[in-house]
Amino acid sequence: MIKREYEQFQFQGEELKKLAEIKPHKLIDLRGAVCPHPLNVIRDTISSLNDKEILQAICDHEPTAKENVPRFSARRGYPFGIIEQNGLWQIFIQKIEKAQPRLQVVNVSKAFKTSDGNFTALNEVNLTIHQGEFVCLLGPSGCGKTTLLNLIAGLDKPTKGEIWSNGNRVTGPGSDRVVVFQEGALFPWLTVMQNVEFGLKILKVDGKIRKALALDYLKLVGLDEKFHNSFIHQLSGGMKQRVAIARALAMEPSVLLMDEPFAALDVYTRETLQEELQNIWSESHKTIVFVTHNVQEAALLGDRVIVFGKNPGRIKSEYEIDIERPRKIDNPEVFLNTKWITNDLREEIEGSEYEDEVRGVAQR
Amino acid sequence: MSKRLIKLVLFYIILIGVWQCLAFLKVWPEYIFPSPLGVLKTLVTGFEDKTFIIGILISMKRILIGYGISIVLGLLIGLLIGRIKTLNETLGTLVLGFQALPSICWLPLALLWFGLSETAMQAIVILGSLFSIIIGADTGVKNVPPIYIRAARTMGARGLQLYTKVIIPAALPSIISGFKQGWSFAWRSLMAAELLYVGLGLGHLLMMGRELNDMNQVIAVMIVIIVIGVVVDRLIFAKIENKVRERWGLA
Ligand SMILES: Nc1ncnc2c1ncn2[C@@H]1O[C@H](COP(=O)(O)OP(=O)(O)OP(=O)(O)O)[C@@H](O)[C@H]1O
Ligand SMILES: [Mg+2]
Repeated sequence: MIKREYEQFQFQGEELKKLAEIKPHKLIDLRGAVCPHPLNVIRDTISSLNDKEILQAICDHEPTAKENVPRFSARRGYPFGIIEQNGLWQIFIQKIEKAQPRLQVVNVSKAFKTSDGNFTALNEVNLTIHQGEFVCLLGPSGCGKTTLLNLIAGLDKPTKGEIWSNGNRVTGPGSDRVVVFQEGALFPWLTVMQNVEFGLKILKVDGKIRKALALDYLKLVGLDEKFHNSFIHQLSGGMKQRVAIARALAMEPSVLLMDEPFAALDVYTRETLQEELQNIWSESHKTIVFVTHNVQEAALLGDRVIVFGKNPGRIKSEYEIDIERPRKIDNPEVFLNTKWITNDLREEIEGSEYEDEVRGVAQR
Repeated sequence: MSKRLIKLVLFYIILIGVWQCLAFLKVWPEYIFPSPLGVLKTLVTGFEDKTFIIGILISMKRILIGYGISIVLGLLIGLLIGRIKTLNETLGTLVLGFQALPSICWLPLALLWFGLSETAMQAIVILGSLFSIIIGADTGVKNVPPIYIRAARTMGARGLQLYTKVIIPAALPSIISGFKQGWSFAWRSLMAAELLYVGLGLGHLLMMGRELNDMNQVIAVMIVIIVIGVVVDRLIFAKIENKVRERWGLA
């Protein structure tokens, strides 16, 4: 059980600005998901608002379009509280034991050797992901999302920086971090069942247990039983992705790394699978890192959306998405978040186009 | 299907009919142009007095031993060349060079090294098929989609497991094609080599036909060689190849 302890901070008047000096650490709620630190909430607003407004922002934040900070409030059970007594502000921040991050990306850069020199795919990326979080990596094509996922998976090594998984340095792939690829990663020479059992066989899991696990997870992802002994090329795209997810889940990894798993699917199949993935996630308490270039998908699925910028690939901004689950695609809050993030992304894309234009003119 | 079969049967009936007519009309002397009946008679006696059976068995034994060695060696070398860059850049070029050499061209070398002997026959079979098998395995390995290997690695597969559980199965269609081509090269070169070697193989029976001016035997042995070639190629290799391609979703 999680022991609750509070760190107490007191502020008076102007002193409230000291809040900015609190060591920024992430807070995890009882579900294991990350909550916004009060500091994050006021980071953008502290200079423009007065004390009262800041508190208001913390307690019940209604974002303006510019702030891009999704709605959340103290009343929703986040582990911090604020009391005002005679002009003295007291802020309680809950301390939680064992707040060891599940995944940590520290100052990671990745360069590829190409015919015309080195190409920086990722530049100085820092990212902390906690147990049970559903994090979406979002960004335009070529910004290094897949590259980062491969680094976390241990399939590739960073040029600079470190990646930590559960406090251990990542030096290679590990079956605690399994990847679901966009498509085409199922083995065509094996049947559906054999595919799902593949990883378990490598782990030398006993045949009976293996079969039971495979059946369980195939059922969980909703694959019709009559396809269990089919070969991969006999399945539709949606069924293939179901099998791919079942194959990853069967390894019972604590981290699931998903690289645009639904990108190649039609809208209906995608919606069903998104819904099912949410269910799987909330039942299994897995940590999911989900790469997508679909803003709506990111806003729908993520607790947190990390927006990537291009040239060089880097983290541009981050959104906490605090909407109750299960979420539906037509949820107005999802829509709002989608809009904010889209605006942000558009800036990124237009910005770089503008830069290209300027450069083009300069060259002429 | 049955329409195709009818066409096929008709074609051969007409072919043999025309052949029999020409032979009957004695346009050419019989030692140049034998009749189908004569050939059939030779075939029957050949099988009855077991000379053909022995010939088949001896040739088959040679090819099976040599081809077996070729498969083991070729797979090993092919897999290594496919995966190890340095080997590919060195040994790989040599293999490509040898592959360009028609396999029968190994005959003089084999004869010089081993004389007219059983070993030379085996060497011909091995050298004839080895390079096709290497290249089949090599191509297969090189064309394994990297995503399969990545997927297997994230599921914990390492080292040798990657070969046995991913690379070889993924490369199997190409490996089988290499086997198939290797076999047909080996069969051809063995027959050619046996023409020179008194060792009772099918090639030797063919040569004996020539020496005795027995055109019936020449044609009969040719038919046996063709039939064996077709049976192995169509009924064994093509079947396996189709099955594999179908299962792999390539068909
Ligand atoms: N092995 C490699 N060698 C050279 N360049 C590479 C390599 N892998 C990726 N890159 C480059 O790194 C950049 C980032 O690639 P990455 O695949 O991570 O992008 P992405 O964000 O996943 O894009 P997408 O949404 O299109 O999948 C691209 O510009 C790509 O060309
Ligand atoms: Mg990608």
